Amino acid sequence: MKVHASIALAALLLGTAAPALAGPDDNSLTIGLGEELPGFDGYTSTSRDGVVMTRHLYDMLIWRNPANFEYEPLLATSWKRVDDKTWEFALRQGVTFHDGSPFSAEDVVATLTYWSNADNGARSQSSVSWIDKVEAVDDMTVRIVSKEPFPAALEFVAGSLPIYPSDYFEEVGAEEFNKKPVGTGPYKLDSASGGTTTLARNEAYFESPKAPSIDKLIIRTIPDDATRIAELLGGGIEWTWNVPADQVAQIGSVPGRTAVLGSTMRIAFIGLDAAGRTGEGNPLTNVKVRQAINHAIDKKTIVENLVGGDGEVIDVPCYPMQLGCDVSAAVVYDYDPEKAKALLAEAGFGDGLQVSMTSYRDRARAEAVQAYLAAVGITANLEMLQARASFSGWREGKTEVWYGDWGSFSIADASASLGNFFDGSSNDGFRDEEVMALVAEASTSVDEAVRKENYAKAIQMITEKAYMVPMHTVTMGYAFDSELKFTPNVDELPRFFLASW
Amino acid sequence: MLRFLLRRLIVAVAVALTVSVITFVLSHVAVDPALAVAPDSATDADIAAIRERYGFDRPLPVQYLDYLGDIVTLDLGQSYLTGEPVAAMIAERVPTTALLAFLSILFALALAIPLGVLAAVFPNTVIDRVCLMLAVVGQAIPNFWAGLLLIIVFGVQLKWLPISGSDSLAHFVMPTIALGTFAMPALMRLTRAGMLDVLASDYIRTARAMGLASPAILFRWGLSNALLPVISLTAVQFGFMLGGSIIIESVFAIHGVGYLAWQSFSRSDMPVIQAIVLLVSLAYIVLTLLADLINAWMDPRIRSAA
Repeated sequence: MKVHASIALAALLLGTAAPALAGPDDNSLTIGLGEELPGFDGYTSTSRDGVVMTRHLYDMLIWRNPANFEYEPLLATSWKRVDDKTWEFALRQGVTFHDGSPFSAEDVVATLTYWSNADNGARSQSSVSWIDKVEAVDDMTVRIVSKEPFPAALEFVAGSLPIYPSDYFEEVGAEEFNKKPVGTGPYKLDSASGGTTTLARNEAYFESPKAPSIDKLIIRTIPDDATRIAELLGGGIEWTWNVPADQVAQIGSVPGRTAVLGSTMRIAFIGLDAAGRTGEGNPLTNVKVRQAINHAIDKKTIVENLVGGDGEVIDVPCYPMQLGCDVSAAVVYDYDPEKAKALLAEAGFGDGLQVSMTSYRDRARAEAVQAYLAAVGITANLEMLQARASFSGWREGKTEVWYGDWGSFSIADASASLGNFFDGSSNDGFRDEEVMALVAEASTSVDEAVRKENYAKAIQMITEKAYMVPMHTVTMGYAFDSELKFTPNVDELPRFFLASW
Repeated sequence: MLRFLLRRLIVAVAVALTVSVITFVLSHVAVDPALAVAPDSATDADIAAIRERYGFDRPLPVQYLDYLGDIVTLDLGQSYLTGEPVAAMIAERVPTTALLAFLSILFALALAIPLGVLAAVFPNTVIDRVCLMLAVVGQAIPNFWAGLLLIIVFGVQLKWLPISGSDSLAHFVMPTIALGTFAMPALMRLTRAGMLDVLASDYIRTARAMGLASPAILFRWGLSNALLPVISLTAVQFGFMLGGSIIIESVFAIHGVGYLAWQSFSRSDMPVIQAIVLLVSLAYIVLTLLADLINAWMDPRIRSAA
């Protein structure tokens, strides 16, 4: 009782908790994120939260409309392919940066030239390393030339290459720019201190499909999941994500709060050490064992019970909406434990076998897989690790079975999925020369027909040889104030400029 | 006294060096720093570029000596993730953590000393047992759980207090209680034990025999002597607050050193982790030294022994 009384007294003395105006009242949106934004530079930001903010502060030359997945004009009004390696963009007239300086070809050239230089430390080199040079044709026209024919160029132009004001960037340098960003985006940085960042609507924003409705975005970092949810319930924040699946239903049942599990482009799959990187005599080098594993796991039940929401079973090692991800080319393995046992017996493992397994995202799902494997006689020694450790275990060939997932950098092209796991790099635990050749050709060909054909062939070979178990799409838990009009996107990039009260 | 101080300083430097070696080696062995800096979806080319750029490809002893050289010149390096100077990042957050630790220790002492005295004055009675039970409960409840409980009751249900953040003093009420409650039991037990000892001593009996009033005996003669070990423990607990704040600051999203530590651990931002571990261990050393000095100042016997 003593504690009660003292808190009551403190509350009276220190004022009430609830802010005076919030949400629809002053047309602001308070967002709760789990990770502190490391900065506001779109090229060195590593976290997804940072990538999300990038899209609010800056614009790219073009954008992919999340409603129809089409490329649409943004800072460029039109674009055309000049030759296999060159794209030309006509820039929009009359656009200004947040500091009032006019936007022109010089800004595009300076930004992309600076960041495509590996010495300048862009965190995701694959987004920029394909660029050979960027040149201004005239004041409002630029050309981006790739080192090799690069079919995914527009994906990166639309998704990963924000344009900075050349004069300001040169004046303050990359480090200072990271703290005091200036872009052309729908929001500009108002303040950032003590874990709270405020973005204010860019009043001078051009006629853009990204024109925002909400005046102010207040971004608060609240690392603890439970606290973040408590803040949402208590009204301290109005939007959050990364809500654990088991909490979605509970939050959704609270009046005034909406919680959804939205499907994402991220695919979960089980990589099998077909190349035998973990050592000689690995049973997973036997195709029958791999096919047995594919038959052993009931993906549908896992998706229905443990993924939930809009999660879907997949039978391809790519996201079905990606260009080249031909679902019809895949060999589909139905859930058939008897067949799995028979295949194991044929492979000489009738008495069962042991494999090492690691995973990171979701223990329940990993344990379900472990149980399905055990039911056909495969003992999987499961180790749950942090994402990076788990991924590096796979890369370094230390794990036989890896239940991982891949978000394809939100790029809707199979080069970002198949091209990442079947390219002979350390991600590739399968090392199939034929598949590698097909994927390599598809990744550099500008002929869409050739690309589609190659990817389809690759998918057929990959699934036939059962290199991995394609599992399901991953869902993302969102929770927000029911008054907020917000639609989740499959690319896991919430767009608050499209949200409204 | 000067020799005492000098000896302590040498020990402090030795401890700090040992800590620096351990954290450096552990942080480089436990996780590949290049992987830590790289985004989750980084490709091999990304990781190779990072390894070269940050010099992770050099031999570990070379990297350590380089790091040590920087420390000696008071350069704590730069965060791998933000590029900001680590010293500035920490300095910015120290006042918040210091405020939280100070409020928590104050809260803990404000409960522990009266309860300890009360328990000692009425030993083996209901009052004593209630006090001891409070201590057991305080010790048994993990502080993050206490924090969440406070959030649910006072933040979500009653809406009396802000749930998270550090914008106003009101934001510190719940974290102070959560952190202070955990430090209180040990301080209370020590106060009680000290008081029991003192109250049974000859000089108190003499004072009583001389007819001095009870409160005077209790506070002027009793408590001032019983508090000597409490001061030492308070210093240690204050150091613990700095460590304990890692959990509490992340639960309540308080933008202090603890939160920075948590965030840096989860993202393996090595320069920041190394600096924080080093500073916390230094803080411990300084605090215990301070406690010894205060004790020496208050108790002539310790002074002469030194």
